[in-house]
Amino acid sequence: MRNFILKRMATAIPTLLGMSMLGFFMVALTPGDPVEMELRRLGVIFTPDQVAALRQEYGLDQPIFKRYIDWLIRLFHLDMGQSIASGRSVLEEFKTHLPLTLTLASLSLALSILLSALFGITAALTRSQTLGNFVQFFSIFLVSIPSFWLALLLLFIFALSLEWISLLGSGAWYDLILPVFALSLGSAATMGRLMRDRILTVMSEDYIRLAIVKGLSPSLILRRHITKSILPPLITNWGVTFGALLGGSLIVENIFNLPGLGQMALQAVFERDFAILQAYLLFMGLIFFASNFIADLLNYWLTPHFRERTNSQGGAK
Amino acid sequence: MKILSMRATPLGLNAGIILIGCLLLIAFFGESFAPHDPNKMDLVRRLDGMSWTYPLGTDHLGRDVLSRLMSGTLLSLGAAIMTSMTILFIALPIGLISAMIGGWVNHLLMRITDIFLAFPMIIFSLVIIGFLGASLNSAIIGVALAWWPSLARLVHTLTTDALSKDFVLASRQCGISPLKLVIRHILPQILPPLFVIMSLEMASILLVLSSLSFLGIGAQPPEAEWGAMLNEARPFFTERPGLLLAPGLLISLAVMGFNLLGEGIRHKLDNRSPFRW
Repeated sequence: MRNFILKRMATAIPTLLGMSMLGFFMVALTPGDPVEMELRRLGVIFTPDQVAALRQEYGLDQPIFKRYIDWLIRLFHLDMGQSIASGRSVLEEFKTHLPLTLTLASLSLALSILLSALFGITAALTRSQTLGNFVQFFSIFLVSIPSFWLALLLLFIFALSLEWISLLGSGAWYDLILPVFALSLGSAATMGRLMRDRILTVMSEDYIRLAIVKGLSPSLILRRHITKSILPPLITNWGVTFGALLGGSLIVENIFNLPGLGQMALQAVFERDFAILQAYLLFMGLIFFASNFIADLLNYWLTPHFRERTNSQGGAK
Repeated sequence: MKILSMRATPLGLNAGIILIGCLLLIAFFGESFAPHDPNKMDLVRRLDGMSWTYPLGTDHLGRDVLSRLMSGTLLSLGAAIMTSMTILFIALPIGLISAMIGGWVNHLLMRITDIFLAFPMIIFSLVIIGFLGASLNSAIIGVALAWWPSLARLVHTLTTDALSKDFVLASRQCGISPLKLVIRHILPQILPPLFVIMSLEMASILLVLSSLSFLGIGAQPPEAEWGAMLNEARPFFTERPGLLLAPGLLISLAVMGFNLLGEGIRHKLDNRSPFRW
């Protein structure tokens, strides 16, 4: 286990370094001199000499590679600069906004898994062609609906027509129910289809046919044989889906007016708050990386088969 | 239950072709057949309901919703097509080069795609837009930059597959020039499957672009992009929720059309039918 973790970490280092470079150079190569832009924004009258002095003070006259290293060192000390708009440190902004987004994405992942299992297993196992077709059609329907429109429809039904909830939200935990549903249904449909396809593939394998011929009950076959072999690819998919949900929370937070990271980033786009955007990109990349890593770890732990494969290949991709 | 078995039969493919066909017709001729000028404001008749003159009512500036939807089709579909073209333009050469040259070039290029793929797509697009400034063009660039790596990997896989065919090996042995090899033997093999994938990708690209416009960082008002129309209608959600219905429905239909088309073609190409219990 420890070997696996270390190996996986080692193979990840180039990617992580590359991610940080992408984040750094995206800002560094943005057209326009940051010092001049900042001075103009403040409405200060300045001379070229003053600009040069300020550039020296911020270390902007250094070669770009040295600036990258300095920036990386500061990043390790969790110093990600300051938000221009609020004047607070980026780290502080993240601390306020992160919990909501993480809760939203995690709850949505849980609900997606639950719903997709329901979809997928019914669609695959049911002998009724009608039900199978219905689930198939329903899933393509759900995949096609934009999440923002679904969210608006949900708001229309539950806030305007039924008046069960307030449009403005009440600050209580049940404010999250609609957002979580709006966020999960699409991914639940995609995951449900994947699960159905996996189950159908596995069911055509000889050992499942043998189990059927032996007269084992379908529920036992499902629990003992099918689950075991479909789980690894599904877990990998869950790791990827978590990243998509983090992105999707951007839209849902906006509609339901939830003060999460997505709202913060959107605000930063309008205010051209580059420090926030840079940190947002890196941080989301890191969370996404972690979720994929956890998925790999789970797979490693669950299946000896996966363990052998990764050992012989020297690191999972 | 024929309608419900859409995906399993060619009916799904037909439905997709019809949907996309209709949308393309609207895209090309919608502007000339629109009952009103899509940008003509009539503040006296703002937020009107359905009527014979305004079949879908008017928006907050008194503009005809139906005309805006019709003229916006070209913009919405066009943006998605532009995006997918940009993606192919980046992904095709990179995928081909890395597969054909191999070695450290391949390694480096694939590492670069890894780095881009490490970020959730829509988040990456949002940050790019943040640096470029919010507009439809930035949205197209942002989505294309977030999207090309997965396509480049696909092109790489398809090309590697195509390169291993005997007749390709034979023509290489005969000393065919790389350019000729690509045009005569590789592209004909990889373009059909790529086309299917692109149709499915178009569905997702359309979704992402309209999401960005809906958030106000893609197409800007008064552009009649569907997502932007939804965004403009949001403040009047309580007053006239109906305004949010038509654009959303149109986006869903377009996305579903591309999904059905892609699935349908894939089903046709793939003869292995899934096992049924």
